Amino acid sequence: MSTTETGATSKRVAYYKGCLASLSAKELDTSTQALAPLVGIELVELESVTCCGAGDIHEAEPDYYVHLNARILAYAEATGCDTLLTVCNVCTLNLRQANHMLQGDSGLLARVNENLATVGVPPYSGTVEVRHLLWEIAEGEGYEKLKRAAHKGLKGLKVAPFYGCQILRPSKIMGFEDPDRPWSLERIIQACGGEAIDYPAKIKCCGFPIIAAREETAMGELIQPVEQALEAGADVMVTPCPLCHLSLDAWQQKLEASTGRSFNLPILHLAQLVGVAAGLDEAELKFKRHIVDPRPALERLEV
Amino acid sequence: MQLGLKIWRYDSATGERELREYELEAPDEATLLDCLDILKDKQDGSLAYRKSCRMMICGSCGMRMDGAAVLACKTRMYDIAQEGRVPVISAMGNLPIVKDLVVDMDPFWDKFKAMWPWLQPGYDRPEDGREYRISQERMNVVHKEALCINCGCCVSECNAMESDPEFLGPQALAKGMRFVGDPRDGATVERLERYSQEHGIWDCTRCYFCNERCPKGVDPRDAIAKLGAESIRLGIDRDMGAKHAKWFVRSAETTGWLREEELIPKTQGYASAIKQLKFGASLAKHGKVRPVPVPHTAKDVGEARNLRKLVREQDRQGALGHVQGEKALERLTHGHIDASLEEIYARPGAAPRPWLPEVEEEAKA
Repeated sequence: MSTTETGATSKRVAYYKGCLASLSAKELDTSTQALAPLVGIELVELESVTCCGAGDIHEAEPDYYVHLNARILAYAEATGCDTLLTVCNVCTLNLRQANHMLQGDSGLLARVNENLATVGVPPYSGTVEVRHLLWEIAEGEGYEKLKRAAHKGLKGLKVAPFYGCQILRPSKIMGFEDPDRPWSLERIIQACGGEAIDYPAKIKCCGFPIIAAREETAMGELIQPVEQALEAGADVMVTPCPLCHLSLDAWQQKLEASTGRSFNLPILHLAQLVGVAAGLDEAELKFKRHIVDPRPALERLEV
Repeated sequence: MQLGLKIWRYDSATGERELREYELEAPDEATLLDCLDILKDKQDGSLAYRKSCRMMICGSCGMRMDGAAVLACKTRMYDIAQEGRVPVISAMGNLPIVKDLVVDMDPFWDKFKAMWPWLQPGYDRPEDGREYRISQERMNVVHKEALCINCGCCVSECNAMESDPEFLGPQALAKGMRFVGDPRDGATVERLERYSQEHGIWDCTRCYFCNERCPKGVDPRDAIAKLGAESIRLGIDRDMGAKHAKWFVRSAETTGWLREEELIPKTQGYASAIKQLKFGASLAKHGKVRPVPVPHTAKDVGEARNLRKLVREQDRQGALGHVQGEKALERLTHGHIDASLEEIYARPGAAPRPWLPEVEEEAKA
């Protein structure tokens, strides 16, 4: 905890934005950066870090995966923060999994540290906890601050929570909420004055990991949340994962083309949804970067 | 204890389907399977479900409770009864229902057989005629996969199979790894070629439902990752999924960050990717991809590059890279030695606390 000029306490965290928020989902980065101080989080941006491997390096070259993630954890630890903050499900799983491997096996940690030292990376002693922004603002101090920050409110906006997979499962690695009955997104939606709608596919896969190699199978997964959320009356959907966001937002047009139907379901990043309730503006939210424009659905809030 | 159950009754012969509610009295230590036995015995002999060993070995009693696949014989009902919850019991998913809680396992066994679930000859036999001895280190490679009891709980919730019913799926692929990782098997390459085809290794969507549901700790998704690692180690990488995975490695060691814009052409090939130009243009319009992909290079990326060179010299390639992390991950389930039993059972996803009869507690006191 550190104290800002206004006297409010804030939690200092090492911020790992990952690949997508650095490039195709820049809007996730800008909205997270703008939201963080409002919910009492001070972001310390990591410079010398790479991709977490997104499950692909884990699959292709698992030993490299452990080292690459250990390197990220080591640089996070070097900032002096206890928490490595993520804004992506896939980063969360990959980093938490590697972290558990290293923390739970001193032999492995020693070998990895020796390799890190050889290439000039500081050692990792295992003190960092990897946490997603979702968890930071769904309970505790972060939640209390979120309630105060979301003063503009979503005024009954019907929001479909979409968790995605790798923030719920494997639950032994996540350790946050019941993967079959999660509550965190619903709690945040309600704290922002929105109405959380319920539908079965909210905990299922969006298809993204195989969207490039097996598009048809992925589309069969993607259609479920889109269809069910609209049927349940959703105005918008919110997700804590930029990969889910990309498939739901960008590939939605392909679903429309293949089914001949119009969905037009706007997808918001978690930081954007809270950002709207907290009164952030377009310069930070960057809705123009979305394929399905959320602004018409949100403009109704102004009246 | 007094317990309520709602059971989805179904008859494939007539197509009739009904959610029927039952009330029963069962001993405190009763499992879901015990409860079904009581119902069938005392209230409704027409209820259909499979069972055999009643002790988590045979894998017959897979079914869903509140939408999640469980082994009925592993599921204690005491806490649910205390909460006053009335769980909904239904047949497993992704398999056709024959009657009530009984599914047709034929599609499951067809995929199982397609894996060649037996050792293929061809390995070097010990010259002295003695038994073939396998080191503990090599056995660890397939230890988890060998725990599978073919119950189908993983298949029930497989998201990729729901979309593509031909997908070999988590059970079959985990079984495949059990043979790929066995040093006595003589057909590793043929197996990996076969498993890497359409509907194989690279169709897994990484939803992790299989790991979540497996009642035996097999972690089928991790077994599939081992198959992927072995395929790439042996250069069996023609499938688009393998190329996709390799592009992440290439990106990490060249620019550090994923070279997103090149991912689709590197996965599908430039010729096929041309078909995606219109789609690409729609993404470019919103700044999702840039017309000219200037590399976005991470600071000190040389470290990441050197790290890969270094680890590739260290004999932890392929599945061994996964196996080295398993011991620590198992501790998440079974606990560190320094954790109390209370702490271990309080962990999310921990095994249910075994029921201890009152007499024993009294004796201890």
